[in-house]
Amino acid sequence: MEKSTILSVDGLKTVFQTRHGYVDAINDITFTISQGETVAIVGESGSGKSVTALSIMKLLESSGQIASGQVLFNDMNLAELSDRKIRDIRGKQIAMIFQDPMSCLDPLYTIGDQIMEILKIHEDLTPAEADNRVLELLKLVGIPDGETRRNSYPHELSGGQRQRVMIAIALACRPNLLIADEPTTALDVTVQAQILGLLKQLQADFGTSIILVTHDLGVVAEMADRVIVVYSGTVVEQSGVHELFSKPEHPYTEALIRSIPRADTDRTAPLHIIRGSVPGLHEMPSGCRFHPRCDYATEICTQQEPPLFHLESDRSSRCWMKDGSLAKEFQHRLNTDNLDSRHPAPPNDAYTASKKEILLEVHNMQKHFPILKGILSRKVGAVKAVDGVSFEIFKGETLGLVGESGCGKSTTGRLILRLLDITDGEVKYGGINLAEFKGRQLKEQRKKMQIVFQDPYSSLNPRMTIGDIISEPLEIHRIASGSEKIRRAGELLEMVGLSSKDVYKFPHQFSGGQRQRIGIARALATEPELLVCDEAVSALDVSVQAQILNLLKKLQGELALSYLFISHDLNVVKYIADRICVMYLGKIVETADSETLFTNPTHPYTRALLSSVPVPDPTIKKERIILEGDVPNPAKPPSGCAFHTRCEHAKEICKSKIPEFKQMSLGHKVACHLIN
Amino acid sequence: MVNYVIKRSVYGLIVLLIMISFVFIVMRLVPGDVVALQLSGAGAVSEEQIAQLRSELGLDKSVWAQFLDWTKNAVTGDLGKSLWSKMPVTTLIAERITVTLQLAFMAITMAILIAIPAGIYSAMKRNTWIDHMIRVIAIGGLSIPNFWFALLLIIFLSLFFGWIPPLGYQSFFSNPIVNLQQMILPALVLALSLSASIVRMTRSSLLEVLHADFIRTIRAKGAKEKLVIMKHALRNSLIPVITLIGLQVGFLLGGTVIIESIFSLPGIGSLIFEGVTKRDYPVVQATVLVYGALFMIVNLIVDIAYGWIDPRMRPD
Repeated sequence: MEKSTILSVDGLKTVFQTRHGYVDAINDITFTISQGETVAIVGESGSGKSVTALSIMKLLESSGQIASGQVLFNDMNLAELSDRKIRDIRGKQIAMIFQDPMSCLDPLYTIGDQIMEILKIHEDLTPAEADNRVLELLKLVGIPDGETRRNSYPHELSGGQRQRVMIAIALACRPNLLIADEPTTALDVTVQAQILGLLKQLQADFGTSIILVTHDLGVVAEMADRVIVVYSGTVVEQSGVHELFSKPEHPYTEALIRSIPRADTDRTAPLHIIRGSVPGLHEMPSGCRFHPRCDYATEICTQQEPPLFHLESDRSSRCWMKDGSLAKEFQHRLNTDNLDSRHPAPPNDAYTASKKEILLEVHNMQKHFPILKGILSRKVGAVKAVDGVSFEIFKGETLGLVGESGCGKSTTGRLILRLLDITDGEVKYGGINLAEFKGRQLKEQRKKMQIVFQDPYSSLNPRMTIGDIISEPLEIHRIASGSEKIRRAGELLEMVGLSSKDVYKFPHQFSGGQRQRIGIARALATEPELLVCDEAVSALDVSVQAQILNLLKKLQGELALSYLFISHDLNVVKYIADRICVMYLGKIVETADSETLFTNPTHPYTRALLSSVPVPDPTIKKERIILEGDVPNPAKPPSGCAFHTRCEHAKEICKSKIPEFKQMSLGHKVACHLIN
Repeated sequence: MVNYVIKRSVYGLIVLLIMISFVFIVMRLVPGDVVALQLSGAGAVSEEQIAQLRSELGLDKSVWAQFLDWTKNAVTGDLGKSLWSKMPVTTLIAERITVTLQLAFMAITMAILIAIPAGIYSAMKRNTWIDHMIRVIAIGGLSIPNFWFALLLIIFLSLFFGWIPPLGYQSFFSNPIVNLQQMILPALVLALSLSASIVRMTRSSLLEVLHADFIRTIRAKGAKEKLVIMKHALRNSLIPVITLIGLQVGFLLGGTVIIESIFSLPGIGSLIFEGVTKRDYPVVQATVLVYGALFMIVNLIVDIAYGWIDPRMRPD
């Protein structure tokens, strides 16, 4: 069935004015979208996917402008429209929702007022009609009790609810086209599942076309009909979603799909990687922009930029391999292609060979942050960030800790390192209670436990050289100084895959992935036994994430390290961890080795969490357990089983009695009343 | 809200008490003695005369006893009498404070009326010649001393227009026209130097807000630039601007002595100045108390304004 095209972007080029002159943010972006269709624009950071979305709406910052190309919407070229005319289109015919619902609503006005505003701009309604529409919209996006909720301010709502409000604003004037720029990236998986479901349902109800801008291939597989893959500001591949995942045409797409860890990825083999990182706007490679990272690149790729080759079933790929006359050039490369042999990494021998000696033992650990009030700062309550957690980490093992934001997983990591003091319970390291360490002993102990942080940008001091950053721990612990210190820093850099010459550079000269390597090198400087990785790969692009995961596995094999790997990304944890603890509201609800957890998840929360993760495979339509509402406030956790408010199986007993941790099989423990 | 104001007022009283005890003690510690000053013109003075005057002025008791007496009276509204003119201090202050308050009010109102629109305009026309002009003028306003500008203005007006402000202060209620003629120039001079920093603060704060994500949301709704700026961006950028204005009001209450003397206005600034040089303890104590109280009130208003602007800063 042929549907009418509603938007067609042709040869769009947007440039930004910088101190070094004009740079292309996007170049020659071409695609169309039909009535009721969902087109995903997928790419890594810096690929120009958001700039494309903003260019269509002409919402670029003042330094950016459309240099050439056209954006045809109902036979109007939006690229050439005056400010006044484009304003009539914005919000009315094309609406947009953004990534971070935290910062995308004006904090000073109520949500009702902000929904009302768009109606006032575009429609001539009486106050009573407008009031009704606001309530209708709140109901439509699943915000109950609209009559009172409309008077809430954004800070009084949860992230998921704010995104619902954003959707209500976007849909207020029934636009034909919705541009969703990373609409669920800032949300937890269970909330992401709610929001994606809502978008799908609204699309079915109103026939809205959606341009979905995202980096998450799982979301793409879930939502899209067609996919545009962008790399360094150009479209490299365009395809239907099924064809894209079953037979990617462009080497970049292929590598991207292969580099994401999935539930069924072999844990013993290294992940496929894309070497290097996404080039910056100032250092665009010649020829094909992907050639420095491409496994198939030949002479011609380095010299000439390939055109978009059109292939059967309405697909296209910007790769010389698709040029029939050049097929021979690539033949030998395709034959000798064996990615596994080129990127070897040993399996985790250290863990399997060890006799499972306990390194760290946590017993009933609690951390309560007091809530203080009044003139005398009386304690009126406590946020129970960690509320009775017990687990152990064996030597050479990776323990994964997963849960949604606010469940206490990061606090747990910090408590173990004694970056925070525990309220109650104990942490034993090598059999000794960590709380007993004081002064010099504690300093000595810190050598053995290090941390890698989430954000590679803010966790390195921008005024210090890499050498100084890495060797600072060496100096603090008097391990090395002077030239010996710098030599050791160089060694550490080599170990994490950077060059020892990098010691005199500064953090801003490195990409995100390289910075994360530096963070790892710093953590390894004191030759620790335990490394806490707090969302260590969450801020990285997919292709770089795989590099870092492989590096962590490799280092573990070589140095017999133990990891506590904290993450919200279940598939990443599944890949790297030997055992996994699932946390909810400060408590561990299930512990199992990672195979068991994924094949036989037992706690209702674990099951919902696993089912919420979008799978990067459009052929799998899995049964999804959608959790209602949001994670409750940890200052006022629900009575009994903290999960009972969102659990579909909850019974009377769940509301009153805290469930015990029951052993299911060896190493598999679950805290749930429903399990016998 | 009422609770909040009460709580703040209680805090305020405590602060005032600490402040006034500090002033009370320091005034008596600094060299120079009011008794010696008053008798300095009388030639040879006997010990008895000094002791007699000291006891007349109530200065023969211990500092602690004096402080208790003063505090007891202050609570009943009696702030004592001037050691020189023997006038009740409350009367002295009441005469003077209206001048200073009127001047401060006119200056700050004019400053806001000049600075906020200029700041908005400057931000909207960022990096154009008009923005540069506004910024240059603002820098000038910050660097030119206001008394110099005041003198220049008086000379200019009298030379070219033959107009000088009427002499002999008249209150607004007895003769509004003369009063306004007297007040407009000093208020304008103060307003210009105040508005310089407000312009800069408004401009930079507004520019920062214009880069916020929610501004993009509002533009994506199809809102006109006027709505974006006047309804959303401006209100979001007001917090630092209001903080600045609050500080400036404090400065206006105390720092206008020079302008008051140039325009020969009998304000409170000159009262405290004379009080300190003549060691007129009750006058100094009372004026400090009034200053302190005014400062507290201004701060309270600023804090309430925060809550009015930003729901996140409203007291629960």
